[in-house]
Amino acid sequence: MTHAVAIQHLHYRAGKRFAIPDLTLTVPTGAIYGFLGPNGSGKTTTIRLMLGMLRPAGGTITVLGHGVPNDVPRALARIGYVPEQPHVDPTLTIDETMRFHAAFFSTWDWPWARQLAATFALDGGQPFGRLSKGEKGKLLMLLALAQRPELLVLDEPTEGLDPVVRRDLLAAIIEYVSQREATVFISSHLIHELERFCDWVAVMDDGRLAAEVPMERFKNSVKRLRIANPPRTPGDTPFVLLARESTNGRAETWIVRDWAPAMAAYFERTGSSLDDIIDLDLEEAFVEVLRAFRARNR
Amino acid sequence: MFQVLLYTQWKWSRLIVTVGTVAGFALPIVSVQGAAGAARNPLETGALLAAVQSWGALYPVLAAALGLLVAIATWAPDHRGRHVYALALPLPRWRYVLLRFGAGLSLLAAPALAVLAGALLATASATMPPGIQGYPVSLAVRFALAVVVGYAVFFAVSSGTQRTAGAILGVIGLLIIVHIIGGVAGVDLDVVGRLQGIVLGWPGPLGIFSGRWMLLDV
Repeated sequence: MTHAVAIQHLHYRAGKRFAIPDLTLTVPTGAIYGFLGPNGSGKTTTIRLMLGMLRPAGGTITVLGHGVPNDVPRALARIGYVPEQPHVDPTLTIDETMRFHAAFFSTWDWPWARQLAATFALDGGQPFGRLSKGEKGKLLMLLALAQRPELLVLDEPTEGLDPVVRRDLLAAIIEYVSQREATVFISSHLIHELERFCDWVAVMDDGRLAAEVPMERFKNSVKRLRIANPPRTPGDTPFVLLARESTNGRAETWIVRDWAPAMAAYFERTGSSLDDIIDLDLEEAFVEVLRAFRARNR
Repeated sequence: MFQVLLYTQWKWSRLIVTVGTVAGFALPIVSVQGAAGAARNPLETGALLAAVQSWGALYPVLAAALGLLVAIATWAPDHRGRHVYALALPLPRWRYVLLRFGAGLSLLAAPALAVLAGALLATASATMPPGIQGYPVSLAVRFALAVVVGYAVFFAVSSGTQRTAGAILGVIGLLIIVHIIGGVAGVDLDVVGRLQGIVLGWPGPLGIFSGRWMLLDV
């Protein structure tokens, strides 16, 4: 499997309070990679490091085969980027913004840009500064898509947008990916949004990667187990025990990761009984993974 | 690439450039007409030169003001967007900076050419006393160089962060404080005077702004 993005032992420090101590992550080519994490966990910093906007203190970053930051212009020519905050000059109109952007990207597709502008109902004469938040989001997505990128890097692209606009933007991404088989790296804390269309998920917390797994595995492998007469010490479990809560003296609820039905045998071996297996949705799974990760790193 | 950068920079600084161009064209004409009023006969040549010299002080002021304002206008949108857009463009940073610099400089060619046109027109239409000559080309070239120097200095300063600008202002402030304290303590440090001599005197980096700016001279 080739990787659109490969980050190895990345180290970065921003002041005294925030650091990425040792980050390793890989984004498979063609994947829609959801990058989850609470506010301030380092998602935007990681993206900026990936795009060569920040210089790492250590480690290696390779994006589309190009070393970053040394070879970043060649990587950026193949990346469509939607930042967290609108970054376009507010005095330029939509048409001027498109012309400006097109001048820097040899792969810019004018017919598709015009089609997207029509789909998003964007008026070319409107200055960027006078657009609504939704229209700004649409224009930024248009700029990223019309340059026909091999990798789309989207930093909270739907943050603060209404559901209709969110749906339009996500539909545009999905359509593009289905046409071009591009890789998408999307950061968000709107978990349900990612659940629908990501095939990989990574969870970031306080500059560290708490999990990086295929979405299906993440969704299907995190379970809430109700156990009667649980073992006092779990010992060597075939799954990853994320959390255990006592419901009464003789029963416990365990949150586990990497669960498979065959692992029920573990409870027979330990003299306890597995009463119930409850599926968690992505948000619950995310919260539990994060909670366990924080407990381990406390 | 350069074309779109030039266009955006024109959009941001067109008012400054237009006003600067009009002022640059008018200044030589007004200065010669004003000076001619002060010297009605050849015996008043001294008065004529004094008047030309007093008007001449406006050329470096105009050049510095144009350099400052166009440099600020050049970087303002990038600063507003915290440089994220520029950094996401697929070209090396040095090239982006050069393109921006070049675009601003291209716009500043208009006021420099306006000074040349105004100076040529003013000297051609003026009746000069014997022994007095017009120097429109050398004045315009000097003005153009002053604009380039002013723009380059302010472009470099305003390309930095607020911290950079603060550090520069801090150093200037510190020098002034040292100068004042030295004066109060009776120690002849004359820091500001020496610095002024280094920066504005020949061959200092801003030496082009000092001295006499004479459209008409002996």
